[in-house]
Amino acid sequence: MRLPFLGVAIAVETRKAAASGTLRATMVLVGSGIAILSGAFALARSNGSGIMAAKLALLTHGSGWTGFIEIAEQITAAGVLLAFGIGMTWIVGREFLDHTVSGLFALPVPLRSIALAKLVVALLWCALVTLFTVAALAVVGLALGFGAPDGDALRALAREAALCLLTALLSVPCAWAATLSRGLLAGIGMAVALVVSAQVAVVAGMGEWWPGSAPALWAIQPEAVSAGELALVGVVPLVFGVLTVAAWSRLELDR
Amino acid sequence: MADRLSLRAVTRIFPSGDGIRAVDLDVVVGQVHALVGLNGAGKTTLLRLALGMLRPQSGEVLVEGQPLARTRTEQLAGIGHLIDAPLAYGELDVRTNLALAARLHGVARSRTAGAVGDALAELGLESLATRRARTLSLGNRQRLGLAAVLLHGPRLIVLDEPTNALDPRGVILLRESLLRRAAEGSGVLVSSHHLDEVARIADRISVLNAGRLIGTLAPGRADLERAFFDAVYADDEKRREAGDIES
Repeated sequence: MRLPFLGVAIAVETRKAAASGTLRATMVLVGSGIAILSGAFALARSNGSGIMAAKLALLTHGSGWTGFIEIAEQITAAGVLLAFGIGMTWIVGREFLDHTVSGLFALPVPLRSIALAKLVVALLWCALVTLFTVAALAVVGLALGFGAPDGDALRALAREAALCLLTALLSVPCAWAATLSRGLLAGIGMAVALVVSAQVAVVAGMGEWWPGSAPALWAIQPEAVSAGELALVGVVPLVFGVLTVAAWSRLELDR
Repeated sequence: MADRLSLRAVTRIFPSGDGIRAVDLDVVVGQVHALVGLNGAGKTTLLRLALGMLRPQSGEVLVEGQPLARTRTEQLAGIGHLIDAPLAYGELDVRTNLALAARLHGVARSRTAGAVGDALAELGLESLATRRARTLSLGNRQRLGLAAVLLHGPRLIVLDEPTNALDPRGVILLRESLLRRAAEGSGVLVSSHHLDEVARIADRISVLNAGRLIGTLAPGRADLERAFFDAVYADDEKRREAGDIES
């Protein structure tokens, strides 16, 4: 499939995303939210002796930096897919909501290039959220007095970053749902469905090979998920990326 | 020279039964072609078909002689259109919106600033250049949309009710702009239900009723409104006699 003017489309979508208060607010809320919540739980675990501390002790194994990041991974696994799904949905669905989509027809830049550009920019935004989240965790970890991160701490932070990036790939189906529904709600619904499916897969004992849950299980317990199972995650953005671009290239304003 | 736009027996019927039926229409070089009709006559549907927002079930749309689906990049770069809503993003200021529109219309990066400056001046938007689009009045937002349509010097201009929300000054600016561009060789297709405005700018007026082109009106005639309603009522009567509509 030829994708003429993809560079122009990416530049235009980047400029729109950079000015978006929705994406900026989501990034700050996600990054700082994960870091602050993880810090609060880490404090509760180290200082408390109640039910919360006991539950956290069951969920995490390390102490200091590693225990802190393990808590962050638990929170990330549950929350970041929803946030990335909302961002992905907004970048695609806002054209229908704002009725700007009609202006994107009959341009030298074809709709399929615009669609791919949206996916690229949405994933770049997810990468920025990842950077912000890791930076926020580093700041909170230092503020809690864990000291300079050692090798284990850096590996844990890298795993947290990888978890965010792999989860970003899982949010691509939201773009497809937003396109088919010509709006936001179905995209957000898809994000919720993905989160729920991950939980169900874990409860059913199939979490290792289900793409929606494999990254979280790997981040929390790396030896529990094989490289092959983790690689299945890549199928999701490929399949739904192609479906999204195809849906835009055949788009009609018939409803 | 091929017509800027040609529709050949274009048909698209929706499940409700509404739609466009076997419409032939040409937009020729250097002319303003106005499409008039009552609400629901199918004007917007026809313009969407002309621009690929809808695909015909039968018939063909040609842009400068080429089928729309196989239109080359340079032909697409010669189209400017405003259907439904302006291409304006609320979080961006007026100048940035126009710069993005220029890039999407194929204007080279080096020529973007000049094209944006000219468009701001043409639509009287200079004082609003740094205002975010979401803070603009409806009329100024429409002006922004029109500037985004015209800034790359399109050879084919397609506008759906372009005077919506415009103040009298905006209407005059648009009228002068369209007449100048037509004189320079552009073909303009504009839908409207403002017959006075249509009479001022159109070289051809086609009447659309119930999804079909039912005739033309002479732009110069004084009793345009009466001629329009005569044409529509005569068509309704004909369809009633044929049993297409209930009495």
